[in-house]
Amino acid sequence: MIQTFFDAFLIGLLCIPAVILVGGRQRPLRVLASTLLLIGLLAGTAVAGVCFWRGDRLAIDLSQLTPLPFAVAVDRLSAFFLLLICGVGAAVTLFSHSYIEHHYSGQRRDWLWALLPLFLLSMMLVVTASTAFAFLFGWELMTLFSAGLIVIDGDSERRRHSLYVYLLMMHAGAAAVAAGFFLFLPNAAGLSFASMRTAAALMPAGLRTAIFLLAFIGFGTKAGIVPLHIWLPKAHPIAPSPVSALMSGVMLKTAVYGFVRFGFDFLGGGPDWWGYLVLAAGAVSGVLGVLYAIAEHDLKRLLAYHSVENIGIIYLGLGAALVFRAHNAPVWVALALLAALLHTLNHGLFKSLLFLGAGAVSHAAHTLDIEELGGLLKRMRTTGAAFLVACCSIIGLPIFNGFISEWLTFRSFLAGSALGSMPASVVLPLMAGVLALIGGLAAACFAKVYGVAFLGRPRSAEADHAQEVPFAMRASMVLLAAPCVVIGIAPGFVLRPLSAALQPFLPGTVLPEEAVAIAGVMPWIAAAVLALVFAATAIRRVTRVTATWACGLPGLDSRMQYTSTSFSKPLRRVFSQVYKPDRTLEILPADRPYFPTAISYRSVRTTSFEKSLYRPAVEAIVGTAHRLRRLQTGNIQVYLLYIFMALVALLVFMRFA
Amino acid sequence: MIWLNVAQALLLVAIAPLVRGVIARLKARIQNRRGASVWRPYADLAKLFRKEDLTPPSASIVFRFAPMIVFAATVTAAAFVPVVHGSALLGATGDFILLVYLLALSRFFLSLGAMDGGSSFGGMGASREALVSALAEVPLLLGLVAVAILARTATLAGIVQWTVRQDFTQISAVHALAFAALALVAIAETGRIPVDNPTTHLELTMIHEAMVLEYSGPSLALIEWASAVKLSVLLALLIAVFAPWGMAGGVSVPALALATLAFLLKVFVLALAIAVVESSIAKLRMYLVPDFLGVASALAILAVVFTALMR
Amino acid sequence: MHLVHFAAARALASSAVFLFITVLLMATAKRISTCIVLFSAQCAIITAEILAMAYVHKSPEAYAVAALVLIVKVLAIPYALFRIVKNLQAPGDITASTTAAQSVFIAAGLILLSFFAVEPYSETLRVDTDMLAAAIALVLSGAFLMVSRKKALAQVIGLLVLENGIFLAALTTTFGMPLVVEIGIFFDLLMGVFLMGLFVFRIRDTFEHLDVSKLRRLRG
Repeated sequence: MIQTFFDAFLIGLLCIPAVILVGGRQRPLRVLASTLLLIGLLAGTAVAGVCFWRGDRLAIDLSQLTPLPFAVAVDRLSAFFLLLICGVGAAVTLFSHSYIEHHYSGQRRDWLWALLPLFLLSMMLVVTASTAFAFLFGWELMTLFSAGLIVIDGDSERRRHSLYVYLLMMHAGAAAVAAGFFLFLPNAAGLSFASMRTAAALMPAGLRTAIFLLAFIGFGTKAGIVPLHIWLPKAHPIAPSPVSALMSGVMLKTAVYGFVRFGFDFLGGGPDWWGYLVLAAGAVSGVLGVLYAIAEHDLKRLLAYHSVENIGIIYLGLGAALVFRAHNAPVWVALALLAALLHTLNHGLFKSLLFLGAGAVSHAAHTLDIEELGGLLKRMRTTGAAFLVACCSIIGLPIFNGFISEWLTFRSFLAGSALGSMPASVVLPLMAGVLALIGGLAAACFAKVYGVAFLGRPRSAEADHAQEVPFAMRASMVLLAAPCVVIGIAPGFVLRPLSAALQPFLPGTVLPEEAVAIAGVMPWIAAAVLALVFAATAIRRVTRVTATWACGLPGLDSRMQYTSTSFSKPLRRVFSQVYKPDRTLEILPADRPYFPTAISYRSVRTTSFEKSLYRPAVEAIVGTAHRLRRLQTGNIQVYLLYIFMALVALLVFMRFA
Repeated sequence: MIWLNVAQALLLVAIAPLVRGVIARLKARIQNRRGASVWRPYADLAKLFRKEDLTPPSASIVFRFAPMIVFAATVTAAAFVPVVHGSALLGATGDFILLVYLLALSRFFLSLGAMDGGSSFGGMGASREALVSALAEVPLLLGLVAVAILARTATLAGIVQWTVRQDFTQISAVHALAFAALALVAIAETGRIPVDNPTTHLELTMIHEAMVLEYSGPSLALIEWASAVKLSVLLALLIAVFAPWGMAGGVSVPALALATLAFLLKVFVLALAIAVVESSIAKLRMYLVPDFLGVASALAILAVVFTALMR
Repeated sequence: MHLVHFAAARALASSAVFLFITVLLMATAKRISTCIVLFSAQCAIITAEILAMAYVHKSPEAYAVAALVLIVKVLAIPYALFRIVKNLQAPGDITASTTAAQSVFIAAGLILLSFFAVEPYSETLRVDTDMLAAAIALVLSGAFLMVSRKKALAQVIGLLVLENGIFLAALTTTFGMPLVVEIGIFFDLLMGVFLMGLFVFRIRDTFEHLDVSKLRRLRG
């Protein structure tokens, strides 16, 4: 029965674009189609939930109809990711109901509604594929549909540049992933996942390492680990807000899914330097991501850099799991993998919520620059409350879901100290220090974001006149905020099936005792905090609304508050080696600097990776290409000479082969 | 046993203002002044609870609720630390990571409340506090991790039980380094000289004071009390992790009385140390505080590396 | 006697820890007087260790060495240095080319390096690896102090710490040196300190400051 539900759900999603494109002009048809999409996604969440909690398996095999083997199978791990995709997709669809109506019209709106279900479908294909062809098909479609959705939002020189960077890097990553798959070829017939699993055990170590490195680079590009992250802050801000939510919250997780499949399911772990490589990538991404985010004041770019940071945290967990696998400690592999996978779910939830909140803010205040915002909580209560829940979750504060996954990651690092062999027993606890640094900096950044944008006084007229967003947008944000709190207080109901999902490649593992411990203590902590807050509220007090001390200055102006740039200045100064901006200071008139009539100050930050890594690499490739052009002389006798030389070389080779 | 652990947590909350009063009195004596009575902070709290609670017109609900959340989170953190008995209310299942993150929860909401005040000083306090706390997380967690690695457990009760079994005359490098790192962090986290001056009235030198500048009445009382509880929680944490000898093994009255006396004595020694340090060192310029915390981080990292070297 | 025995055993076991702490603290010291006090503390720890070894190995010679170290290094040389600091009337801060945090990280790295270096010898020599590692750490950190501090007096203290490290290394590997050699080294050091003191005054009087980086202007 579940199988039929699943089939119907997929077919329904496929039909919706057709309906939109044909009848999009009439509003009732549009509303019908979008409502059908919402219902379909809710049904999909239910199907995924059943597969995840009960362990049912589904399969669709279309190999007969397609030239290359194309099959879809849902096991517990796929169901977990499917749950994330459909759940977040449902919330985003609800949000888009009003958002798209208000901000887009005509063809752009129709195409947006048409591409959205296809984008979701491609992501679902990626996480449920059971042959390489299906996986790659979905992988490429994800890039194409998301690029299409970005194009809908407008055109400009800068947008085109960002889009090209996005497409190029995604393609490079897809090429690496495809190469990783093809390296299985001689041993795995048809490149189905089952055959790849059995083939990997028989392959030589060099080949396995090559596959691992290709998977690392390919999926790393998609996930956004440093230094392959430069497309993230370019592509996520230029997409429409619901699409940014999907890209940041869900699309990055498909890369994590792919990496888990390759590293743990197919290859079944490897030497411990794999784990150290992943740990290093995670640590660098985490720290650099949050440092770059601190310096930003465009809300979406900031959130994009935070995605880099959270992917870093996930990779820290995955790296620890690989190290444990190399040392044959299955209990701790389960703990670390549990931490990493729970963080993917948590990040999917709160990052989408943050992006939807950004969309609501741009809807109400018409700007995403937090330096122009302020006091939004008083004017947009529900949005502000949901955004606060997301902020607390992303920092990893107790009672919210981010804490559970970070706690589990900490505990897996602590467990690493008992490994006994030298590098691991020191490196893993030190990674706990890296995670602490990331957490502290993230708290600083979100205190800045929430404090400057939502609290205090509005810094512009737009922010002052901001009004609460329509019901659908509010409901979608509450829909995403609720699981953040529920998972934070009672994580057991997600951790148990998740550890069961790891069974196929970690046979015999049970729910780690740390997971049981945290699931046991969190409700008590939540109860204690709430009880104390309640008791504190009950203190009899006389309140009065009046101007407070503020250093005795009359007539406080909203410009006297701290801005985002001033808030982050101490941190930017301490970490100045990371930022290195280009600064120009111009004082006019130049010959009388002590009596200036005008002063201009310009500070431009280009992230060092573009300057020091990508530009030289690109220039090297272009230079090599230029030099190779000399082979193309246009003289026909030279071309005949080339053929002649090839012939001679072949004869010599045959002689010595 | 539950009643015992509840009493421990309440003890920490109740003596917190007294610890502050004792430190202030000792500082005054060292500086050749008479000093106020050690019970003065209680009188301050009582006075504040009787006063009006003023709210700026531009403030939102976060301004009103932040003091309560700050207080609730800090008091919940007090339930994690074993004080007189080798167990705590949540100390058997809760570990030091939960403790640190509960303190982070209270600090986050304090920053938000400060920014909601709508004046420059709230933002200034929050910005400086963000810098100090971001850099203080690393040595705090790594120092505790180093000790937890040796004790092979992460719960505070487990660490206490392991330490009690050790020989206290044998000083291990890991413990010495971790103690140095955690002492520096305790100074930074509780806003004492040389990181922050808790008695300053100059906005230029404020970190914690700037964040609470706009609060008054019961809200200010709750925040001040929470800050005092944070100090006593960190002191109790240092005592529990590094010098827990004297804690009661069972629930007999004489053992508990002796343990309480031992605890108060150790807190007095630490208070004296804080008073001496505060009276002899000048407050650091703010951009030298990252240096200070960098030293603490280096000590904590060295402590973690030594756990593998000196086994 | 039991107490003394106990104290001796404990002193031997934990002096390495205290020496590491003095190394780290010296890396962060901002004033010369702090450095001198820390140097004196280092020598006191080494004296305690010599006494403990003397008690354990029952050698009267070692008691004499301990007394010599106490008088010369814990009391005389720091007193001389304090006199120089007072007479110079120079600002007592040490300018360094690395910040305090960077210095501590480098000092921590040097300590780890000394552990690494000592590891292969831990089985072949019957010595306490911790003490040998502490000795090498003292040598390295003394050299680091000389390299990174700009004031001449701080460099003198670096040299003294280096000598401490060499002395300690000799102590642990051979248990003490013959008394005559020890006395010779002490006189060497005393002469060195006197000469340094003289030179410091001469440099100050000729160039009116003690910043050695300004000596670079003497280039031809």
